[in-house]
Amino acid sequence: MLRLQPFELVQPESIGEVLQLLSTHAEHVRIISGGTDLVPNLKLGSIKGDVLVSLQRVDELKNLKEADTQLVIGAGVSLHTIATSKLVQGTVPVLADAVGKIASPQIRNMGTLGGNLCLDTRCRYINQSEFIRSSFGGCLKSDGDRCHVVPGGSLCVAALSSDSVPVLIALGADVDIIGPEGERTIPVEELYTKDGVAHIALSSDEVVVRARVPIPAAQTRITYRKWAVRKSIDFPLVSVAVRIDHIKGSPDILEDGRVVVGVLGPQPKILRLSSLQGQPINEEMAHKVAGIVSRRCTPLANVPYSEDYRKLRLAVEVKRAIRSLFI
Amino acid sequence: MKQNIHIEQKRDNPSSTSPDFCHRARQVEIVSFVLNSEPCQVAVPSHWTLLELLRYAIGLTGSKQGCDKGDCGACTVRLNGQPVLSCITLALDATEQHIDTVEGLGMGGTPHPLQNAFEECGATQCGFCTPGMMMSAAALIENKQKAEQTNISRLEIATALGGNLCRCTGYRKILDAVERAWAEMS
Amino acid sequence: MVKKKQNRESEPVAEDFRVIGKNHGKVGAMDRLTGVAKYTDDLSLPRMLHAKILRSPHAHARILNIDTSAAEALDGVFGVVVGSEMPTRYGVIPWTPDEQALAADKARYVGDAVAAVAARDEETANAALKLIDVEYEVLEPLCSPQAALASPLKIHENNKKGNISKHVKLEFGEVDNNLKKADLIIEGHYEFHGTNHAAIEPHCALAYYDNKDLLTIWSSTQVPHYLHRELAKVLVLETRQIRVIQPPLGGAFGAKSEPFDLEFVAAKLSMKTGLPVKCLYTREEVFFAHRGRHPFSMDYRMGFDQNGHILAVDAQTILDGGAYSSFGLVTTYYSGQLLCSPYTFDTFRFESTRVYTNKPTCGPKRGHGSVQPRFAIEVQLDKAAHALGLDPIELRRRNFLGENTRTVNGFVVGSNGFPECLDKIEEASRWRERYDKLPYGRGLGVAGSTYISGTNYCVYPSDLPQAGVQICLDRSGRARIFAGCSDIGQGSDTVLAVIAAENLGLEVNDIRVVSADTDLTPVDLGAYSSRITLMMGHACLMAAENLGKKVREAVAQHWECSAKQVILAGRRAQRLDDPEMFIPIQEAFVLAEAIYGTLGTVGYYDTPKEGVHGEYRGAPIGASPAYSFTAHVVEVDVDAETGDVEVIQIWAAHDCGRALAPILVEGQIEGSVYMGAAEALMENHELMPSGLNPGGRRKHGPGLEGVLAHTSLLDYPIPTTLDTPDIASIIVEKPDPRGPYGAKEAGEGPLHPVIPAIANAIYDAIGVRIDELPITPEKIVAAVQAREEENMKGVRHASASAL
Repeated sequence: MLRLQPFELVQPESIGEVLQLLSTHAEHVRIISGGTDLVPNLKLGSIKGDVLVSLQRVDELKNLKEADTQLVIGAGVSLHTIATSKLVQGTVPVLADAVGKIASPQIRNMGTLGGNLCLDTRCRYINQSEFIRSSFGGCLKSDGDRCHVVPGGSLCVAALSSDSVPVLIALGADVDIIGPEGERTIPVEELYTKDGVAHIALSSDEVVVRARVPIPAAQTRITYRKWAVRKSIDFPLVSVAVRIDHIKGSPDILEDGRVVVGVLGPQPKILRLSSLQGQPINEEMAHKVAGIVSRRCTPLANVPYSEDYRKLRLAVEVKRAIRSLFI
Repeated sequence: MKQNIHIEQKRDNPSSTSPDFCHRARQVEIVSFVLNSEPCQVAVPSHWTLLELLRYAIGLTGSKQGCDKGDCGACTVRLNGQPVLSCITLALDATEQHIDTVEGLGMGGTPHPLQNAFEECGATQCGFCTPGMMMSAAALIENKQKAEQTNISRLEIATALGGNLCRCTGYRKILDAVERAWAEMS
Repeated sequence: MVKKKQNRESEPVAEDFRVIGKNHGKVGAMDRLTGVAKYTDDLSLPRMLHAKILRSPHAHARILNIDTSAAEALDGVFGVVVGSEMPTRYGVIPWTPDEQALAADKARYVGDAVAAVAARDEETANAALKLIDVEYEVLEPLCSPQAALASPLKIHENNKKGNISKHVKLEFGEVDNNLKKADLIIEGHYEFHGTNHAAIEPHCALAYYDNKDLLTIWSSTQVPHYLHRELAKVLVLETRQIRVIQPPLGGAFGAKSEPFDLEFVAAKLSMKTGLPVKCLYTREEVFFAHRGRHPFSMDYRMGFDQNGHILAVDAQTILDGGAYSSFGLVTTYYSGQLLCSPYTFDTFRFESTRVYTNKPTCGPKRGHGSVQPRFAIEVQLDKAAHALGLDPIELRRRNFLGENTRTVNGFVVGSNGFPECLDKIEEASRWRERYDKLPYGRGLGVAGSTYISGTNYCVYPSDLPQAGVQICLDRSGRARIFAGCSDIGQGSDTVLAVIAAENLGLEVNDIRVVSADTDLTPVDLGAYSSRITLMMGHACLMAAENLGKKVREAVAQHWECSAKQVILAGRRAQRLDDPEMFIPIQEAFVLAEAIYGTLGTVGYYDTPKEGVHGEYRGAPIGASPAYSFTAHVVEVDVDAETGDVEVIQIWAAHDCGRALAPILVEGQIEGSVYMGAAEALMENHELMPSGLNPGGRRKHGPGLEGVLAHTSLLDYPIPTTLDTPDIASIIVEKPDPRGPYGAKEAGEGPLHPVIPAIANAIYDAIGVRIDELPITPEKIVAAVQAREEENMKGVRHASASAL
């Protein structure tokens, strides 16, 4: 069986201890929560971890509550809890739906929101064993110095593959981050960089502690669509959240909207629909938005299935998403 | 509880009662947990997974290893009642938790209704995925019973078993078996 | 002594079976359901070492030097082995020995084994592998048949015909004449991709060479006997020095039907260290070991008369064999030989060429060698039906081969329930009301097939039986069966128990089956070619009848009646004419043991050799004592915009002769159907894109040639519960005089029709043909677009002419 390399596991019980551990341990310290992404990657040797700081026992990360117009979801809340919570289903059903589409029942039981937010980027050249990677000399993200997806490229383009991130961005969610300097809050989209090797814009002594999800107003409609080869287990190959806000009192007229696309590169792509303000939400708009998305999004050969097909698929999913929102 | 156990070994004497255990001078930790309703303590290297703990440290080999890294579900056990993948669960995360494996489902004269149903429906062929499959199914049934739900649909069963790959049966008889066990248990 | 050979032609059997055809629990199921059953990796021995194998990162490279000294010096390493220590070339087919336990001269695919280490644990063994220094001379990788055929570079230097591994050309009747006469010619090019078996249990072997020079090896093999022979050859031991035990097995499907590097490595390292050695594949290594479905590139030309009768079939096939021969000789024959029923061909010609490539070796996956051509021919038939305006089921009926007949290539076919299969699926799917009438996007497709119940061609020729069994009765009222065959999950132990129980008046639970242990059980050739029910079934029936006769005679003596008056049933011996007169079966066994001494006998079976196939080179390959028949209807829902294909339902009717254990037959049908559907739509054992990408736009990085793209069960998508359609399995029973109780195979035939039936259903749904597998959404979308462009041209053309 594929074995883990020895590491030291520390299991702090408070955020304070976590921060202390992160600041005292230097290289190859990794935060582990559910471990469903990290452990396979450690087994494959695609990442290294000498010290793992576990968040499993940090109970203060496991709160899920409604506060004013927000859902506040601790980073340690399990994906299963979010997908099946009556509170989430009642207030932000699209989030329950998207999280319910993640991987498999077991992985949703183990995985956490924090883990899904910080999910490592994926690429057919990195999610391989050490042996396979050695056979082609590795890549920018592991053991090598070249990119096989964009030959000559100097920035890793491994794909953001989280099912929750596009929806959270569409919802306008923020994340609270804690570090030695205290807490700060940033929009979810600012959590990601353009570099697939280090795509989380946190310093090594910071931790995502919770997400703040605005409960959508009555005139906001959001949906999430995922395409993968299988209906369970798989990461998305096409992933898109679509948000439509109509004008108060005129459910057929667009006030604002956005489309958030995953599985392109390390960052989600956000397309704002403000230029369509005042236009009727109808089939024509569905086509128009699909066209915009298709023009502005470029799937790469970082995950299986051809770029051309995924581009086409993305447009169809966007079109159908909008249809589903106004019908 | 952390302990450094150093075992002096001669090259020609790799003493081992169970494979792979206590070979190297390495950091081990004592994991205390409840295994199949019985308290249990066992020393494991801190980088072992729960599956390694079960199979190699304790010798409960009912939980299987099929894919190495959380892709197939053959290693599914229940952690505090919920199905998890033991091959990517760290052993130390079982500390103070309840772990249930296929061996705890039913043995000898008192098989679990799921085990009977799997046998009667022909839901096990090679049997390699079956322990994990039944752990997912048992969790589904118990969760629904706790929620006092009285009906079960085939889609619900299929969804709950969506993380357990079977290569022999085409799943039909597995879904039949879970339906039958559900009927038996409710 | 004259050897008495039993070429059993079963007598008609009474229909009122007591055990046969009933639903029983599977033998050993509860052990598997409680975690009691010990699979190979569940075993451990005192002081057991763990072996790991070093593999070549190059697809094609000469091995110049291997330095293992640093690995040997590592603390915790007990032994290292390299290819030169086991130089003997072997192969499961004795005519094509081109493999070495560890490659000594050349690595022929990414993943080819070059050295191995036994250490105190897997981690140490892995660390030691990194210390082995292999010097390679990298050669040009030849990763497609086209590249390999064009290159002067040989993958196997000693091969006589360049990179051709096997070439077969056979013609029956005058194909070209018939093609000239034909009213309709259907030509097509078909591509079948490679797929892996993906049994959930990875291969594992545990070996222990003891101080009495006995090598015991526990292995997840489906062919203990062939492993036994090859181990002896490669390790230079006598076969009496080797004991092969197959523990409970976690699925195989052909993946474990020949010896692999890990068995030799574990054995050799145990011999070197004197300690038990276990070797367990990672999932990735399972994909390297492969032996999966050969990619086929097929050109088919068929001639029909105006009534739809098949006048000629002309098939040209290139098989992508991968690095070694495996069963390739047989695969190459099967690619044509198994095509000649259930339809009658006036004339038939096939030319098949298997080519070595620098890829993991292809071999026998469920439906060995005939799933690919079946795809081609069944789609061809669908095209012909459309061209002739015939219902595709009707076209198939018109070409029905018949019963008790000979195929064009000389195979003798006995019972044939194909028409019944067609009737059943036609009715169950409401074909007549719905075919060609469903709304756009919904469609029905049909296909049929046949398969063998074992093959007349034994892997090595001999006058010895192909299957052997020993049965002992016990004064406790039980029977013990010792059988060389491998229960790989399909339930062969149960089949034997059912046959014995039927004959000995026992319940299935009263039978202990000890199988697949070369020390304890008579030789059986293994679990492949769907041979066990027929061959071991006969052997078991022979032994059980023999013992049953003794018991009945003993009871008859006791009752002072004729043995014919005694029947054994329901744990009793009773008078046929007086149901009130009976004794418990245990007493009957005691009476018999008192008269005959300890009760035991053997049974055996060999295939009939005379008059069952033609007389030409290769004629016995693919000829079988009995043939199963299958027909499926598939209903699909196709989203023409996304290309998604959802299989709604599959109706699969299968003629297995007689269902000895119906629940197992259904399990085989459902498992086959599921596996076939996944091959059609999802799975692909493919290489990383290299050179130009599919869009043809840019070069990928170098070094990707020959690297497998999907080596995990995440990346190689086998269907989940949510991806598997509803399957209606329909058992058709047309007992075959050559099968035990008329039984024929059920484990492989039902896989064949699914794939073409899906392709045909897609055509019914949206009117496009996808002749290259797998049928991905991308291909559907491209085909729909191409058709629309065609239509547009047509419209433009039409409007132009209107002007």
